[in-house]
Amino acid sequence: MPETAPDQPVLEVQNYSMAYDTEAGRVEALKNVSLSVRPGETHAIVGESGSGKTTLAWAIMRYLPDNAHDLNGAILLGGSDLIGMSQVALTDLRGRRVSMVYQDPSSSLNPSMTLGDQVSEVLRRHRGMLPAEARIETEAALKRTGIRDPAAIMKRYPHEASGGEKQRVIIATAFACNPELIIFDEPTTALDILTANQIIELFLKLRDETGVAAIYISHDLGLVSRVADTVSVLYQGEVVEQGDVATVFGAPVHPYTQRLLASLPRPADRLAIDAPNDDAALMTLENVGVCYYAPSLLTRLLEPKTTAVYGARNISFSVKPGELLGVVGESGSGKSTIAKAATGLHPFEGKITFDGKTYENAKAFNREYRRQVQIIFQHPDGSLNPRETIGRILARPLLLYGLVPRVQVADRVAELLEMVLLPREFASRFPHQLSGGQKQRVAIARAFAAEPKLVICDEITASLDVSVQAVMARLLVDLQTRSGAACIFITHDLNLVRQLAHRIVVMRDGAVVESFATENSEQPDRAPYTQDLINAVPVLARPTLPKEIEELLQ
Amino acid sequence: MRKILSSPSGVVGVMLLTVVMSAAAFGPWLAPYDPQLFHAQNRLEGPSIAHWLGTDHYGRDMLSRILNGARSTVLFGLGATALGVCAGSIIGVVAGVEGGRTDSVIMRLLDGMLAMPELLFTLLIVTLLGGGTLQALLAVGVAFTPGMARIARSAVLSVRTREYVLAARARGESRAWIVLREVMPNAIGPIIVEATIRVSFAIMIGATLGFLGLGAQPPSTEWGLMVSEARQFMFRNPWGVIVPGIAIAMTAMGFNLFGDALRDAFDPKRSH
Amino acid sequence: MNLSYLIRRLGAVVVVMAIVTVAVFVITNVLPGNAALMILGENSTPENLAALERQLGLDRPLLVQYFDWVSGILQGDFGMSLRLGLPVAQVVGSAFINSMWLAGIALAGVTLISIPLGALAAIKRGTKYDTIIGVFSYVGTALPEFVTATILLVLFASPGNTIFPAGGFVEPKEDFLAFLNHAVLPVATLGLVLMAHISRQVRSEMSEVLSSDYVRAARLKGLSERRVIWRHTLPNSLAPAVAVISLNIGYLLGGIIVVEEIFAWPGLGRLLIYALQNRDLPVIQAITLVLAVVYALSNLISDLVIAKLDPRVRYA
Repeated sequence: MPETAPDQPVLEVQNYSMAYDTEAGRVEALKNVSLSVRPGETHAIVGESGSGKTTLAWAIMRYLPDNAHDLNGAILLGGSDLIGMSQVALTDLRGRRVSMVYQDPSSSLNPSMTLGDQVSEVLRRHRGMLPAEARIETEAALKRTGIRDPAAIMKRYPHEASGGEKQRVIIATAFACNPELIIFDEPTTALDILTANQIIELFLKLRDETGVAAIYISHDLGLVSRVADTVSVLYQGEVVEQGDVATVFGAPVHPYTQRLLASLPRPADRLAIDAPNDDAALMTLENVGVCYYAPSLLTRLLEPKTTAVYGARNISFSVKPGELLGVVGESGSGKSTIAKAATGLHPFEGKITFDGKTYENAKAFNREYRRQVQIIFQHPDGSLNPRETIGRILARPLLLYGLVPRVQVADRVAELLEMVLLPREFASRFPHQLSGGQKQRVAIARAFAAEPKLVICDEITASLDVSVQAVMARLLVDLQTRSGAACIFITHDLNLVRQLAHRIVVMRDGAVVESFATENSEQPDRAPYTQDLINAVPVLARPTLPKEIEELLQ
Repeated sequence: MRKILSSPSGVVGVMLLTVVMSAAAFGPWLAPYDPQLFHAQNRLEGPSIAHWLGTDHYGRDMLSRILNGARSTVLFGLGATALGVCAGSIIGVVAGVEGGRTDSVIMRLLDGMLAMPELLFTLLIVTLLGGGTLQALLAVGVAFTPGMARIARSAVLSVRTREYVLAARARGESRAWIVLREVMPNAIGPIIVEATIRVSFAIMIGATLGFLGLGAQPPSTEWGLMVSEARQFMFRNPWGVIVPGIAIAMTAMGFNLFGDALRDAFDPKRSH
Repeated sequence: MNLSYLIRRLGAVVVVMAIVTVAVFVITNVLPGNAALMILGENSTPENLAALERQLGLDRPLLVQYFDWVSGILQGDFGMSLRLGLPVAQVVGSAFINSMWLAGIALAGVTLISIPLGALAAIKRGTKYDTIIGVFSYVGTALPEFVTATILLVLFASPGNTIFPAGGFVEPKEDFLAFLNHAVLPVATLGLVLMAHISRQVRSEMSEVLSSDYVRAARLKGLSERRVIWRHTLPNSLAPAVAVISLNIGYLLGGIIVVEEIFAWPGLGRLLIYALQNRDLPVIQAITLVLAVVYALSNLISDLVIAKLDPRVRYA
């Protein structure tokens, strides 16, 4: 197999199309996709869900399911067409000339094999090393990825390592045989912000050291601007725009790219309503804690070192009427736990004061409290009962709280749908007939239907595409303005929360780190953790955009 | 329904079930002879033109007996399973919804009852009740209850953590509402799938009880009983045992395949 | 493996056994017609019935009878068989050994054959091997033991063509070969049905493993298919396979009852049928308890084996 000549592109995809055979017939997943990657170049593939970016990765690796068919085009690695290559040839070049780094390090590692073995086996397979040699080289490779004690990690199993460590092992495996091309499929999505940052730094370092060509798949444009030289924007299986990053992101030509870039949250694009007057707090949390697990007497006798597990402890903060309070933290910080405690979904300790009344445990929450404090969840797929129509779902709070006489319910439901920019006819549809963004809007409408004083939004935009997120955020602020409700907005997206919130609370490992007014986000007296979080998410400068797109976002 | 017919096993299952159900519905009318009538001249014969599936040791026509027995066999399977499903689901739903101590107690009791192999449990109960078809049906139904309770409980538990149920709890809905409107309609899928597959087990156990003399009694045309009666003569005329055996197998397989296809239709991610 | 897990599991087994004893006691004492009536038969009059009941201790309050029974068990005394006049422990004991021979051989044979079969079906998914094994397992799970037994008898034990004996038993100590000869058909009956169940479930578990992300990652590392199967797929299929086997032990124990009855194998199953027909309470109770204990212990053992095989399993 001839290796790549220095002036030839490492990878060339020429007019490639493929389709899947599904129950609904043939679905074209990729349409005439063309791109090329030169040696040393990092080419990003950007798109939202359904764009086909992951499918493209599998197509390049030639690992497609049985119901996939190549329709036309070629995929050239170093000049040789991968399509139609024999299984033997493909097995030879996978891992050696082209390798892959995956999105979820936990599921991509064999749970019954030590981490060291999983790296060594590539070395023995492609570089013909003997076991002892491979072990030494594995240790060196792991050291290059910044793992502190490679020898120890090598003996561990995947479940004994952290997410960041596992991803480093996978990266080490990918680089081990000095491939010409590595495909990175959203390698940092499953990691928390700070670890993700470290992995990106690692990628940049290794890329510069080895000069490997890379395809970097991501939905995060800010991230892409940091790591990539060139980019292809994918929309519904087609490349709608392509070029180097500065040009495409600075002056996008295609309407889709323009919309995408405009939708990115930027702290400077302030969306929030006017800050509330200095009224008394609407809700105050005092030393609230949520205990997940307290060891039983028996366990404490047999294993005295077992401690109780708290989701959050000694949490205190307050929300004013009409205010939007942002609660920021990574996964495991306890922010969702507090949301569940405040809505009576989980027992808690400490005191919650709302509208003058104090509650000391979840059972004390009466119906009036539950009406005034509403919650919206993260996953649109799970928020709505699949067996009920949208109309019935929205009517429920109206009937439960007796807000509207029965005869007027249908009208009110229609009003609610309009409020969230959905057609009236949706009232007779079922959730599975709606898209993710539409379902989330119904969930928002359901929360505001109860005419609450406080709406808790638990990562409501996290599962949505960027362009849908932008619409959702504006919708939320609009509803807040109309209803005067306060809002606790829980998220891990710092840029978004700086756009929306009046004040921000930062949480970490079940405790509050600090709270501050949004305009003070970048003051030097911010806690180091806060500063790290802010620096980890670059803000893409606003591109020059045509008027129509600008207007879309007002 | 279309999804079920898209897999070959689903198609076979539906075909078998159609045959069996037709026999159950129309059997007595389709039977060429009276199933209890002795044809003393033609005893223990193999298949012939007069008797398509042969005759038994009393000279009774096998085809007629099989067609006749289809109804009671199918009804037995459906009835016993329905009993187990209803009783088990109530217990399982209560355990899953209540949680806490009630759940632990119920689980321990279920574990106790599941600690006995199912057939053993059935035998004990059917002996307790005395033999007979109805008693056997009750016994199988009771023996199925703990298993179905487990399935119902786990279906309820998996639905309970869904966000729309959390939303209902946060709203302050009454427990009755949450169970009847949010949980049950969505938990019923796995219960129905398991129930369908269990029908085939019910039929097999019913036949076994009939075989052991603890279920249907002569001169019933229950298929297990037919095998038991024909056993003494099985070397002279193996058809006497083969025919009802195949009938039992077809019925059990039909429900089994249908249940599997149903499961795949509900949850396409499972590899079958 | 930590101590508290083990203790908790054993504790659970004890609790479950207690519940089983209560259930068994309740059920057997609600049986119409107690043992005294069975013994006296037609000769029973209210007077001698009462006298016999008093002699057998059947007139005491149920709670007292229960505790008496349980405390006896804990000392190894299962009482006396009401019909056979022998200590239950002795009768059940020898039957138990015979049944364990049968179950053991069947289980060993089935494990050795059907796990590879299921694995093969999963690996060669969609091919004709898979279809054949699939059909075989579907048919096998639809045949009750007595049908399979009868078919085997017709094929191999008919008077004109006796390849294997139609039933009966020879002590393994006396003549091991003859013992095996008599064991072939009953083991085959049990085995065929079990093989059908187990190979199907193993296939399903292994297909899950084959479609996992880490197997995909292994393939995309360019490893040979052989290595992917032997090093990445099979080791992760062992724990689920053990789970499958343990799920089917209950079925095995139930199947023994029918098979022993058909082949006149003097084990627990045959003894149970006899005891049920004759309302021999102590024997019924003892056998039920023994079977439940065997089942519970085999579940516990398989849980421990799974915990050893799968490094991720920590707590129950």
